[in-house]
Amino acid sequence: MNRLNKPPKLTEKFFSWYCHSSAMEDLHGDLEELFYSDLENMSARRARWCYRQRVVSLLFSYAVKKRRQKASYHHYSFTSYHPAMLKNYFLIATRNLAKHKLFTIINALGLAVGMSIGLLLIALLAFLWRYDTFHVNKDRIYRVISHTNDKRSTRPFATTPAPVAQALRDGFTGVEEVVRINSSLEGEANYKGKDIPLQGYYTEPNFLRVFTFPIVKGNIASVLAKPNSMIMTETAAAKMFGDEDPVGKVIEMQGHDFEITGVLKDHPKNSHMQFEVLASYQTLLQQESASGKTINSWFDPTDSYVYLLLPPQHDIPAIENYINKVSAPIYAQSKDFKAQFELQALHDIAPGPDMRYSIGPEWDYASLGVFIFLVILILLPACFNYANISISRALRRMKEIGLRKTMGGQRSQIFAQFVVEAMVITMIALVMSYYIFYVVRFEFVNMLVDSSAVDLTPDLTTVIYFVGFAIFVGFIAGIVPAIYFAKLTPVQALKTQPVSKGFTAINFRKVLIVSQFALSLGFIMSVVIVFNQYRQTLNHNFGFDQENILDVELQGTDPQIFRNEFAKLPAAQSISMSSGIMGTGGVESIWIKEKNFIDTLEVYQMFVDEKYITNLNLTLLAGNNFSDDAARNKKHIIINEEFLKTLKSTNAADALGQVVVLTGGEEFTVVGVLKNFHYTSLRDPIRSFFFRYDPSRFAYANIKMITTDAFSSISEMEASWKTFAGEKKFMAKFFDDEISDAYSSYFGMIKICGFLGLLAITISCLGLLGMVVFTVENRIKEIGVRKVMGASASSVIVLLSKDFMKLMLIAAIIAIPITYLFFEKVYLNLQYYHADIGVLDIAVSLFIMLSLGVVTILSQTVRAAKANPVDSLRHE
Amino acid sequence: MKGYIGEFEELVLLTVASLAEDAYGVTIKEAIEKRTDRSISMGALHSTITRLEEKGYLKSWLGEPTQERGGRRKRYFEVTQQGKVELHNIKALRDELWKLSKSTLSLAK
Repeated sequence: MNRLNKPPKLTEKFFSWYCHSSAMEDLHGDLEELFYSDLENMSARRARWCYRQRVVSLLFSYAVKKRRQKASYHHYSFTSYHPAMLKNYFLIATRNLAKHKLFTIINALGLAVGMSIGLLLIALLAFLWRYDTFHVNKDRIYRVISHTNDKRSTRPFATTPAPVAQALRDGFTGVEEVVRINSSLEGEANYKGKDIPLQGYYTEPNFLRVFTFPIVKGNIASVLAKPNSMIMTETAAAKMFGDEDPVGKVIEMQGHDFEITGVLKDHPKNSHMQFEVLASYQTLLQQESASGKTINSWFDPTDSYVYLLLPPQHDIPAIENYINKVSAPIYAQSKDFKAQFELQALHDIAPGPDMRYSIGPEWDYASLGVFIFLVILILLPACFNYANISISRALRRMKEIGLRKTMGGQRSQIFAQFVVEAMVITMIALVMSYYIFYVVRFEFVNMLVDSSAVDLTPDLTTVIYFVGFAIFVGFIAGIVPAIYFAKLTPVQALKTQPVSKGFTAINFRKVLIVSQFALSLGFIMSVVIVFNQYRQTLNHNFGFDQENILDVELQGTDPQIFRNEFAKLPAAQSISMSSGIMGTGGVESIWIKEKNFIDTLEVYQMFVDEKYITNLNLTLLAGNNFSDDAARNKKHIIINEEFLKTLKSTNAADALGQVVVLTGGEEFTVVGVLKNFHYTSLRDPIRSFFFRYDPSRFAYANIKMITTDAFSSISEMEASWKTFAGEKKFMAKFFDDEISDAYSSYFGMIKICGFLGLLAITISCLGLLGMVVFTVENRIKEIGVRKVMGASASSVIVLLSKDFMKLMLIAAIIAIPITYLFFEKVYLNLQYYHADIGVLDIAVSLFIMLSLGVVTILSQTVRAAKANPVDSLRHE
Repeated sequence: MKGYIGEFEELVLLTVASLAEDAYGVTIKEAIEKRTDRSISMGALHSTITRLEEKGYLKSWLGEPTQERGGRRKRYFEVTQQGKVELHNIKALRDELWKLSKSTLSLAK
């Protein structure tokens, strides 16, 4: 018989192999029978081809899949889920957890720590989800935003020039309401000698129709109709007037009198507009005509917002096109400011894209993204911990799993059992993490934003989310052990020694431990580096004196009177005046013409008096300070060393007498050159800078104090201030405090990294503890035998600890370069004058991590090594 | 309608019934192919048979080993009581519909 007259061997073999132990005998027989009947009708080659085709069709058929599945289980195996089985999983899970209390605690605690930050995220997201949802017209409210030709940033402005509103009212019919809002209403409000800072908006009467801010007292239609009328929230009214009825009272704010016409209910915290008072827009228009301020300019979007209420049927592109069409000819006239307009739906505002000049608290997607990333960074290790400890304890559960499988437990059922077990433990963890969440929520939110704008009190929906989250975490944590156990065959499971080779558990667990410790070390290093940076920044030589200088805000009082009054005080050694505070950033820039008069250059300026330079102990390299003659001083400037480059002078003496011309045409003569100092924050490099003299620009008095009792000196000053400044509050701060305040963002970073680091290291140490306890338990007999054979306690400790120490060192090798590069290349470059990362920083971080790890390891190994071998070997 | 079965499922069930004692993979396949004049793949046939078994309309057992087929046993199929009831249900439904639409479906012009 020819080879061709037999079924194709390879295909036959493959089919047998694929079907393995499943009952395929009949199919195989059918295939062969069909083949031989084919042989009678067609060529052998064709018959073989048909055979192959049939095999392929069978391989993909449900029939074979089903038989294969069935073959892997006992024939009593039951495929569907039965509530009794779920109950049994639950029962076994609770028994197991109760039996191994230490591991239960380690697991639950680790998960609770990781989940607590997850709960923070959920509470925050739940809060943001409900942002601005209380407005009845929420789906129809839109804001006009502008894309300007501003070169410094591509972010759109949340503000819009006010004339846009008028244009829409006059020429467009598809808009129901147009509301102008101006956010410049801010300041101390005065009523019967009581000063309270209030903040709010100037707005039009239809504001209350468009937005849902319910009114408690007053007539909704008329409260904001007249000029100088104002409404307050209940809280602000209570602060201002106590128990008195606010309606009809007159308060003074920003130099104007306002009559209170109504009281609003406090708006919810989840409003993107945050205000205490609302004043009529008419007030602003009246002020404009009186003072010559321009609030209605196409070229100035400052503080001005335009909101629209659209009819149910609306066409957004048509509105956008209309505004852009109307504004185009106006912007064609000017080169300085151009804008394109766009509509933004209310629900896109917060959380929304990052914008400039937002009206209220900002929630941009990028920072939320960072937060979510951090949560995952903390939560995943916690889940891995659980997986890690569960797998390492597999040995104890092998018999149970083997038995379940032999009795017909299917892969998916074993999987379900372990997932249920993980969920039970995450439920315990949820209770603990809720407690942590409750304690830290305010503190944590404070690190991110102003916590007064956030309400994290969980309501029923949030709690449901929490439970959902716990179930989800349980699934994530349980999936690895569940897959591991489900994959075992009954034979593997029932053998006394578990088969774990290749990838399996051991290597996987090592990777987990290493990555956890790498993460923890990263956070510890961040804290140490940023702390060092903060410390060095404060100790940086700014080039001027900071100690014992009190900066007092002039608040518009006459600098001369101030000087005369304060000079009488014994504590004030010398008094100087300035327009700003050095070393904190925010120095005014100005453009000057370059020498050839073709190009212009940006330089920085500050206005000071003749005492300033001596008061702050700045060093003059050449020339003189300002003189006593105020009129002449106004024509003079004192430049810094850096400015010499702008003037193309090689030494300081050359620069004296040179003339600097502003783009406006004003000319100044250089009379002095100062050694470089940090006029602005350390984030920016020192650039060309000069001091000018102009008493009208003075905003601060800098008082050098000689006193042993700063507190009483300040009280004296306050008393003196009262004599000429009237009701204005005495506002003073020490210079060095202001400088440290300017760098408080580092402090925020330290707090966040510290908190996250604490979570990460707790989770890592718990994970490590679990591993060590398990290893020690497993090797207790080995230790006994070693000790009987003469091993010393210390050698046993080394033996048990060294593997874990190795893992921690690997973690350090991974984490140190990554963290170092991150800070060296990214973070520290945010500050121009920054401290380099020293070996000491790394050593300190490493020491912290290693000592925590070593304490964890030794806590178990020492006990094991000291145990009497008789106890462990007694039962052998 | 309870326990819905598809056209091909019905075909397989009826074929198994028509083959009586001799219903196994090859004969079922050949009978269907001959009657319907279409070629069916083994995979599709056995998938359907498996599903019918799951629904409880078919039962199967292995026959005795014979000299043919390399000594491999055949799996014989038989329609269960439940399967018979289902076939009757379908037939009753059909008959009823036929009776109702006799005049419209008449081929005579």
